[in-house]
Amino acid sequence: MNGLKRFWMYAVLAGSVCLCGCDNVGGEEEEEFDVAGDGVFVLNEGNLNAGNSTLSYYNPETREVENGVFHRANDRKLGDTGQSIAVRDGMAYLAMENSGVIWGIDVRTFKVRGQLLTKGTKIIHPRHIHFVDDTTAYVTDLISPYVNIFNPKTFVYRGAIPTGQKALNGHSSTEEMVQRGKYVFTNCWSYNDKILVIDTEKHAVCDSICLDSPQPKSMKLDRNGKIWVITDGGYSTDGGSFGDNIPCLFRIDADTRKIEQKQALDADEANVQIALNGRGDTLYLINNDIYRMAVTDTHLPVRPFIEAKKDADGKRHKLYGLSINPVNSELYVADAVDYSQAGVVYRYSADGKPVHEFRVGINPRALAFK
Amino acid sequence: MARYGLLIWILWFASGAFAQEGKVDYELDLEEVPVLAKRPLKHIGIQKTRLDTVVLHESPALSMADVLLQHSTLFVKSYGRATLATAEFRGTSASHTQVTWNGMKINSPMLGTVDFSMIPSYFIDDVSLYHGASSIALTGGGLGGAVELCTKPQDVRGFGLKYVQGIGSFSTYDQFLHLNYGGECWQGATRVVYSTSKNNYRYTNYDKKTDVYEDGVWVDSYHPVERNKSGYFDDFHVLQELYCRTSGGHRFGVAFWQTVSKRGLPFLSVDYKEDTEFTNEQKNNTARAVLSWDYLRERFKWAMRAGYIYSDLAYDYFTKRQETVLSDITHSRSYANTFYGQLEAEYMPSSRWMLSAQASVYRNGVKSSDNSPYHAGDNYDEGRWEFSACLSARWKPTERFAVAACLREEVYGGKGVPPIPALFWDVVLSKRWNIVAKGSIARNYRCPSLDDLYFRPGGNPDLKPEHGFTYDGGIEWRKTGKRYSVQGNATAFDSYIDDWILWVPNTKGFWQPSNVKRVHNYGVELSAGAEYRFPKGVVLHADGNFSWTPSLNYGEQANSNDASYGKQLCYIPLYSAALTPRVAWRNWTLLYKWCYYSERFTTTSNEVSHITGRLKPYYMSDLSLEKRMAFRWLDLSVKGVVNNLLGSEYVTVLSRPMPGRNYEVFLEIRPRWSHKQ
Repeated sequence: MNGLKRFWMYAVLAGSVCLCGCDNVGGEEEEEFDVAGDGVFVLNEGNLNAGNSTLSYYNPETREVENGVFHRANDRKLGDTGQSIAVRDGMAYLAMENSGVIWGIDVRTFKVRGQLLTKGTKIIHPRHIHFVDDTTAYVTDLISPYVNIFNPKTFVYRGAIPTGQKALNGHSSTEEMVQRGKYVFTNCWSYNDKILVIDTEKHAVCDSICLDSPQPKSMKLDRNGKIWVITDGGYSTDGGSFGDNIPCLFRIDADTRKIEQKQALDADEANVQIALNGRGDTLYLINNDIYRMAVTDTHLPVRPFIEAKKDADGKRHKLYGLSINPVNSELYVADAVDYSQAGVVYRYSADGKPVHEFRVGINPRALAFK
Repeated sequence: MARYGLLIWILWFASGAFAQEGKVDYELDLEEVPVLAKRPLKHIGIQKTRLDTVVLHESPALSMADVLLQHSTLFVKSYGRATLATAEFRGTSASHTQVTWNGMKINSPMLGTVDFSMIPSYFIDDVSLYHGASSIALTGGGLGGAVELCTKPQDVRGFGLKYVQGIGSFSTYDQFLHLNYGGECWQGATRVVYSTSKNNYRYTNYDKKTDVYEDGVWVDSYHPVERNKSGYFDDFHVLQELYCRTSGGHRFGVAFWQTVSKRGLPFLSVDYKEDTEFTNEQKNNTARAVLSWDYLRERFKWAMRAGYIYSDLAYDYFTKRQETVLSDITHSRSYANTFYGQLEAEYMPSSRWMLSAQASVYRNGVKSSDNSPYHAGDNYDEGRWEFSACLSARWKPTERFAVAACLREEVYGGKGVPPIPALFWDVVLSKRWNIVAKGSIARNYRCPSLDDLYFRPGGNPDLKPEHGFTYDGGIEWRKTGKRYSVQGNATAFDSYIDDWILWVPNTKGFWQPSNVKRVHNYGVELSAGAEYRFPKGVVLHADGNFSWTPSLNYGEQANSNDASYGKQLCYIPLYSAALTPRVAWRNWTLLYKWCYYSERFTTTSNEVSHITGRLKPYYMSDLSLEKRMAFRWLDLSVKGVVNNLLGSEYVTVLSRPMPGRNYEVFLEIRPRWSHKQ
């Protein structure tokens, strides 16, 4: 082979390599799932503006976990910043905050059965879903000064409830919801200190409760009609603050709307969260460690129910999410690790013994039980 | 189809109607002349990449991000067309790349980074990339390296004008005007770039799927074709330069650069909101000015510079829904003022010695606020003095060996960092092949930016400076023959960075920086260029580069579940390469650009089983064809460009789809004011 031929051979070879187009995105096959029996959904928040929120499914019996089930079953991404998940009548409802969409998926097949988009609504960044009845669900919102209403069976948008808040120092970061009779209570978190009361017959805000600790983060209703609220205390940094960094636990009577108890907690490194067991008689909360108290108690116990996992070097794991299985009171506690890799969920028995731990997606935040 | 027709018509017009222009060409068959270039003492041991003006002035549509992506071993992290693009040396972060323009550091005092998509390459005449330790002689804080951007006098006589008009896909219009005047003493130039585009390209959205129902029963689904929402941009730049050179060795210069930009921030591919209901945009207004005085004598040089940067950045995210009570979700305003002064002296007591000293001072002030009720309290108003001084000595005891040492000291806001020493050396291994071996060793520091320290909420005033230790070594060679020239460079490097500043979300819903990571970067950078002139007037030119950059995290683990230890940093490719062959024949030039990035991880633990855990590798190809024509009164040039030639569907960052195949045509006009040309 002479030099010229060799040159052209190499040139053609090099050209061929260069001319090979290379897609790095594309569709994939949809997987078929059919999961019967009990199960736990873990909604992994992902990272803001990365669109990497995912859904994991855990079988407590076999201790097997399937990650990314929404994507695998539907060949589409779940979205950006998964905020909450609620299960009702064989459907799981997922609020994707920064994507502006609410998904409804079949709890057995994980297939999409409905979606609610923001267009034509007053939804901006949906946070939590509460089912008032079979055909009425409320959606809270980080940005929008409305609580939106849709039909959870048909995903038809029905309207919005103005929160009536002023723009200045009182935006509409409505969060979790609990219902007592015809009244729905929702806590306003970001730069706020209010609990709003909504009359579900009139679909209107009828009252509010003001807390003396900023940023109510999580809220639950116990079997005695008491609302438990935990604030994160806002933040306080050099020269600027909204709050004092001290979280507080409140007990409010849902009927009188009076604050009955207030307890200041330790300055918290973890994500303050509260949860109730299925009977509604025991309260659990994250305040660095996990505490447990009867809803009739006046104070948290001094010692934690479960200490956050500690490493050999004494480093304590920062906990990110907490949920209680309503049937057997098992605890599921999420650890976001460094917020940029697959998180871990710890499963504890009702008496606080470690049962299992498993890897899920990035920033496991919300759990729901099938 | 109309676009194809326009392109074909222009090429036909250029090739047929003006074919007679080929007769003005002629060839000179030159004898081989040995080049015995002396290595400047100033460049002893320096790992420096210099980008050719031909590359910089290839098209007014290109930003410095595009140029660095193709012609350097830097990793350019781009969020899309005309959106934020940062450049990183050797697996470090964007804030570890220091950037100077005519001597003045232009890194944002708030973020510590530079958005290279906001720098039109047409505005830059000379770019030098200082890799690793080599940046210390230029400026401090470049843990990865430094980029030196310069404008310079055109050294022309008389009046010159050049106008380029570009029309491209997605309603893209690029205009460039260059006026220059040159005399014995004075050189002046005005450059204007105005680029605007709807940038609403269509792409198949594989992150979404549309379900099709018939009578309420699902029958099918497909990935919808969507358009890039809120991707518009409207960028205006003007650059005014004036230079004066006296016979006494004085050189005076003034350069003023103004940028006015409005850019939509594109929606994510997983965003279901409509851009008709929301505005998400960034407006930037930046003015930079540098005054310079250089005094050159046979053995010494004095230089003095003074500069000022004003920048205001507005970020607005609001809903356009009429009935909604609140509108501003984000209403951020940031104002930054930087004053700059620098003194520099060089002295050569003999041909074997060079001594230099440099001292600079910066005063940065930032006022940042957000008037949206959703960000109440996100305000700060802080300033900081920054001093830096560097002493250097360079010595060439023999013709084949040279050594240099630098010692830099920096003070930020009254806090000094330990002295920053650097040692450089080079050895000529072969004079015939111009093979030079080089090496350097240095430590370096970078102080936190003002946002790192003071941003509210989240700023951490207790942050320590990042610090690193780096060494590298390599060879470069160059050979020139009668019809060919080849050159190349191979460098291996190894560096450690401690107290790497990382912003991570906290449990209160905002992000906070802390000194958490220890990163080990090492690898190899290769670059080469070759040119061959065939007898019939065909010139084949090619340059390419390749880099292998493991960038591994060895920082303290968040906890025992942390699987990031020893893993590649997010978004930094292990391998990258680029190749740019160019064929010129008479007045025709065909240019092909190819670049490659290996897979990149999006999680710190590098999980590939995670659906969104990695971005697959991709190649990218661009092609352009240019025809130059010379007339009695003007020179014309027509160029057609095809970007993403093979129509690849790809993303460079998660949920940020990039445009498919797209086109742009440029017409360049250069009037001839003198018939003698």
